[in-house]
Amino acid sequence: MDQVRSRQSLRRLTSAVFLRCLAVVLCPALFTLFAALAASGQSPRPTDLQVKAAYLYNFGKFVRWPEGSFAEPVFTVCVLGGDPFEGALDQVTNGQTINGVPVKVARIASSGGINGCRVLFIKGTEGNLVRSALVAARKTSVLTVSDAPEFLRQGGMIQFVLVQDHVRFEVNLNAVREGGLQLSAELLKVATKVVALNSSGVPQ
Amino acid sequence: MNSRSISARLTIMNLLVSGAALLLASAGFFAYDQVTFRQALERTLSAQAQIIGSNGVSALLFNDPQAAASTLSALRTSTNIASAGILTADKRVFANYTRVPGDETVTIPAMPEGQDEAFWFRRAHLVLMRPISSEGRVIGYVYIRAELREIDVRLQRYGLIAVAVLLLSLLFALFVSRTFQKSLAGPIIRLAEMTRRVSREKDYSLRMPASTDNNEVAVLIDSFNAMLEEVQERDRSLQKAHDELEQRVEERTRDLVSANRELEAFSYSVSHDLRGPIDALNGFSYVLLQQYGAALGSAGKEIVDHIRASARRMRDLIDVLLNLSRVTTSSIHIENVDLSAMVRSIADDLSRAEPRRQVEFKIAQVEPVQGDARLLRIALDNLLRNSWKYTSKHATARIEFGANHDMGRTIFYVKDDGAGFDAAAAGQLFQPFQRLHKSTEFQGDGIGLATVRRILGRHGGEIWARGAREEGATFFFVLPQQGREPGAR
Repeated sequence: MDQVRSRQSLRRLTSAVFLRCLAVVLCPALFTLFAALAASGQSPRPTDLQVKAAYLYNFGKFVRWPEGSFAEPVFTVCVLGGDPFEGALDQVTNGQTINGVPVKVARIASSGGINGCRVLFIKGTEGNLVRSALVAARKTSVLTVSDAPEFLRQGGMIQFVLVQDHVRFEVNLNAVREGGLQLSAELLKVATKVVALNSSGVPQ
Repeated sequence: MNSRSISARLTIMNLLVSGAALLLASAGFFAYDQVTFRQALERTLSAQAQIIGSNGVSALLFNDPQAAASTLSALRTSTNIASAGILTADKRVFANYTRVPGDETVTIPAMPEGQDEAFWFRRAHLVLMRPISSEGRVIGYVYIRAELREIDVRLQRYGLIAVAVLLLSLLFALFVSRTFQKSLAGPIIRLAEMTRRVSREKDYSLRMPASTDNNEVAVLIDSFNAMLEEVQERDRSLQKAHDELEQRVEERTRDLVSANRELEAFSYSVSHDLRGPIDALNGFSYVLLQQYGAALGSAGKEIVDHIRASARRMRDLIDVLLNLSRVTTSSIHIENVDLSAMVRSIADDLSRAEPRRQVEFKIAQVEPVQGDARLLRIALDNLLRNSWKYTSKHATARIEFGANHDMGRTIFYVKDDGAGFDAAAAGQLFQPFQRLHKSTEFQGDGIGLATVRRILGRHGGEIWARGAREEGATFFFVLPQQGREPGAR
């Protein structure tokens, strides 16, 4: 229905523009652009970054952390090594809660600041950062997520992958178990691949 | 109006009552079943939608339509679910499932705001829709479309069961009413037959067999029997009284007849026996006058003449009495009689006997009657002589004979314009020896009209008179219609 309404308003808009085109004799390129927009009629598809930001927030809903891991009543999503989301993460998590706990985004510069993080995203392009973060993460209960290509093999828990132009994710159950976390079956159901690799990257 | 018997009515009433009760009960049960079935269906669908919804959360959140579809395919075990689907928050189809491929015809109506669940009953479908939420936000919708074919199936099944039960219970009702009929309607029917028989045959000795029951019908039967008893008792006493009366009448009649006969025999013998001495008196007085008339002298002769006149008169009286007696006792010989001819003959006799009198006879010709010619002649002779006598004081007179017709009867009359009689005394005219005029005025023996009445009485006819002093008299008489047996007396 929204589509219908938007289509109608667009049509009204295009006819208005058309009239103006006739009046001012605008270039036909502008007209073609509007026509193409009207034909597509869809809201623009979210970018991969936006999808990743949403997934990062949604993961929290399907993970159970050990009792008493976090003293503060705040759900902190940490981003290590520079924020690639261009504000999308803030947009997604703004005002949201997980199990009644408000969500907060924290940007940390080094792996030393991961205490208090529930979800940790490591930018995949920072190879050294990934390694040190994984080492640091072993000492705490944190869901490690990255888009680094060998993340699971390196001992990471969830790795973003691209399948047919769509953002999907893979899970390393072994790493999750070692981190003392529990993943919901619901999450595993929608994962592209669920593996169980030990810390040296060998399947168990 | 309605001639159906009690038993048929009882049966129909029974069938109607049980049929109506069953139909109502079936309708009630069916309505209840429909409601509970729909509620159960709603509950089942709601539970299934909840399961699908919660299983579809991750698929929606992580944009995995395949996972959603596999969740939906779990519905394959529910055969009544035609289709189901998961929609995104902006109502785009995210994943769907159809039992029969290509059967996705459902249009998703707008979900009312702030509602947990919505149902739409379509013609043959129930559509249920639930929002899918995560962390308090609606992230999509699940809908399930179930076929209501089962309701129809249930309806049919219910109908069949109801019809079967109805038939069975109607049979049972028929059986029950037949059984009760024997004990309830049976006695009433028998009672009705008995009353019909009693009124037809007038046989009040019939009785209903006493009922062993202790109900109203038994009371009815007892009362009926008691009534018959009463009727019979009255009948009996009535018959008894009737018989006694009959017997008494018979006895009286017998007594009367014998007394009458004795009286007649007596008067006949007296009259007859009186004639001898009178004849002797007459004869000897004649001899006395003839042989010793000279010795008697004129005064003696006159005395003897007086004696002779008295004797003659007495003889005449005796003759009249004998005649009256004969009229009463002689047998009747019925034949056709022409009364007019008789009247003419008598009138001639009278005119010839006293030619000086100026009497005009007007004699109409009447139809012949049936009767005894000799007796009827005596009666007419008496009537005409009566008129002749009572017109004798008038210089001219007129005597009529004729007949009128009134109410199918022929009324004959003899009418004169003579001395007439006192109307108040009309009833005494026909009594023997009753005279309304002094014998010095008109001579007579007072027996003529009595004789006429006897004769007419013996023919079964009657006579009456109308008149006034000095205005003439009219005697009317009727004889029974032709062909009718005249009464013996």
